[in-house]
Amino acid sequence: MRSIVLLLLCLLLPLAPVHAGAPHGWQPEDVYLQGRDARGGVLEGQRADGQAVQGADAACASCHRRSGLGATEGNYVVPPISGDYLLQPRITNGTHPDRAVNSSAPQRRPAYTLAGFAHALRDGVGSDGVALSALMPRYALSDDEIARLFDHLQAIGTAAAAGVDEQNLQFATIVTPEADPQARDAMLTTLRQFFAERNRIIAGTARPITHTELGVKYRVTRRWTLHEWVLDGAPESWPAQLERLFASQPVFAVLSGIGGAHWDPVHRFCEQRHVPCLFPNVDVPVVQEQGFYNLYFSRGVLLEADLFAAALRQSGVPPEGARLVQLVRPGSAGVAGAARLSALLAASGWEVETRELAAGDRARAVQQALRVPPDARLVLWLPAADLALLPPPPTGAQAWLAGSQAGLDAPPLSAAWKGISEISYPYELPERRSVAMRLPEGWFHINGIALTDARVQYQTLLACQILSEGIGELHISFQPDYLIERLEVMLSHRRLNAIYPRLSLGIGQRFASKGAYLVRVGPGTALQADGDWRVP
Amino acid sequence: MNPSSRQRRALFRMTVMGFLAGAAGLAGAGEPVAPAPAVDPAQGKVSQHRIAVRLPAVTLTRADGRTVNVPQEFDDGRALMVNFIYTTCFGICPISSQTFAQLQGLLGSEAAKVHLISVSLDPEEDTPPVLREYAHKYHAGPGWDHYTGTVEASIAVQKAFSVYKGDKMNHDPVTLIRAAPGAPWVRVDGFATARELARIYRSLAAAG
Repeated sequence: MRSIVLLLLCLLLPLAPVHAGAPHGWQPEDVYLQGRDARGGVLEGQRADGQAVQGADAACASCHRRSGLGATEGNYVVPPISGDYLLQPRITNGTHPDRAVNSSAPQRRPAYTLAGFAHALRDGVGSDGVALSALMPRYALSDDEIARLFDHLQAIGTAAAAGVDEQNLQFATIVTPEADPQARDAMLTTLRQFFAERNRIIAGTARPITHTELGVKYRVTRRWTLHEWVLDGAPESWPAQLERLFASQPVFAVLSGIGGAHWDPVHRFCEQRHVPCLFPNVDVPVVQEQGFYNLYFSRGVLLEADLFAAALRQSGVPPEGARLVQLVRPGSAGVAGAARLSALLAASGWEVETRELAAGDRARAVQQALRVPPDARLVLWLPAADLALLPPPPTGAQAWLAGSQAGLDAPPLSAAWKGISEISYPYELPERRSVAMRLPEGWFHINGIALTDARVQYQTLLACQILSEGIGELHISFQPDYLIERLEVMLSHRRLNAIYPRLSLGIGQRFASKGAYLVRVGPGTALQADGDWRVP
Repeated sequence: MNPSSRQRRALFRMTVMGFLAGAAGLAGAGEPVAPAPAVDPAQGKVSQHRIAVRLPAVTLTRADGRTVNVPQEFDDGRALMVNFIYTTCFGICPISSQTFAQLQGLLGSEAAKVHLISVSLDPEEDTPPVLREYAHKYHAGPGWDHYTGTVEASIAVQKAFSVYKGDKMNHDPVTLIRAAPGAPWVRVDGFATARELARIYRSLAAAG
């Protein structure tokens, strides 16, 4: 019996395809990004000291990054491995410029060949015959896997990035029809001024220098162009609109942007097209889908829901018959916050009711929605315009207000409401941000731009400044992946972040500000913190 | 050459020479104890120094959600090994954490006498649930705890052990060891293996 099986195997073997055993659709990118080998298994590697690494941790991108341009951590430098590095000899005459900030050792080595690449991956020996860092895992990959991975590395970073040429950088900002018109105009005015000023002051001021050896130009001060992508119709139609806009005008990144309850079509577009989508003015960011290209200032109303859940749990389950009632404007960002809070508290046995304010007369809608039994706990996801119309608070009520919806300043509350309300405030307290605000406040003042939506305008200007710094960090490697990787590293180096106490990212981190205060409105309009900055 | 490329070159030189040899120089004032043998030239030297540590009176949050007072938590009678990690770290922390995991196995019955402490350098991202997941990933056994807290508290603890480098991504591989409350602290710079850490601990414990 066994011999028959063997015979069958022998007969079959010559017919086996080149990529024998590879699951259908396996790409070298699976090893590179996810750590999945061609046999459908989890990639495994071993460091020189015997420590094993597996799966995503063993993937090339986990250290060398998606761009292949490497990374640094402390004194630990991960060299670039994209094709233009691997296939070039490295020389030490002091003139060979580094394309990436992360480029590093070894400085003198021959170019990698396929055989040399295999030797490096399997045995940890570089093309110069010297052992690679002990931290670089060794992999038992097949010839076929190594060959395809080598091809893949050669392709990384070679495609011309969208929206970049020698003189110009193209950016877009995205406005969805859910955006508040006044906030939209406030954002667009800020962006237009920033671009105009940047081009007037910086573009074309330096004479580029061409590196004779590499043919690479330095000191290029490109002109920035902003394309305003204003979407219309229902969210289902936005992907097609975005595709059309991108096809007619490719952009290097999407800067800022503004929307309402639905941002996911924009988020997905940026992921699919590999376009960095940087710090939009949205209160409902996409948190569930693991992405790479979308960076946000914070988790918005979802962060506030977490904060409220913690505060409400601490305040204890409401007395018998009392309930938690949430008020939202239909179609607003608050709906998502209320849904998250309901889900969080339902798990702790709370009875939660979410009421939508009726259309039409604002004051009447607020009044109707506030008919609640005594001792209710209230969570109001409402804009300042609604809060200004609140009738006297119900007997024994306690209230939590979403600061992201109410705006940067103290909401217009009566003394009775001030006494029972805590407000989530995902920004630095006004008295502590005075230094960080000097530059942005001065910028708007000098440019004669009225602060019609201060939160949106400060966020937009901050996004512009961060992009500007990020572009500077690219050196000459204009790759969208690399822009995201640089921002992951550099954001926590910034000390002045306007309305935010600190911004920080890391590999895979996508929400730069992680916490909020709970504040009360004191006498007048002063905001008084109840406790420290909280990270729920 | 602009300053940043000079810095990069300096960084590179340190890397080639053994990227931890550079870090050893930053250990600050301290008397060398006994040089540990280098494991691997590419990994650089592992060095150890005695350092003075004054535990700051701050609170941290343990991965199980409990708020702890640092001096109390650290002075619970057990020997201590402290390292600093963050969960989105790609280079140094996975190795430090694997080393702690191996160390727990290596210590066997002695493991109950040694409290392993990992303090987050990125405390706002590394909330207790995130740390629990991280601890699970590295098979942290009883006696190995992870801590977060406010940014200020994390920095205070980093400064107490002279490992604060201004940003999480600037950190170096460092382990702090103390055989008992009141005993001297020994700072181990570099990627010490689990075997080396066990050896250092045992020699300190034997010295009493």
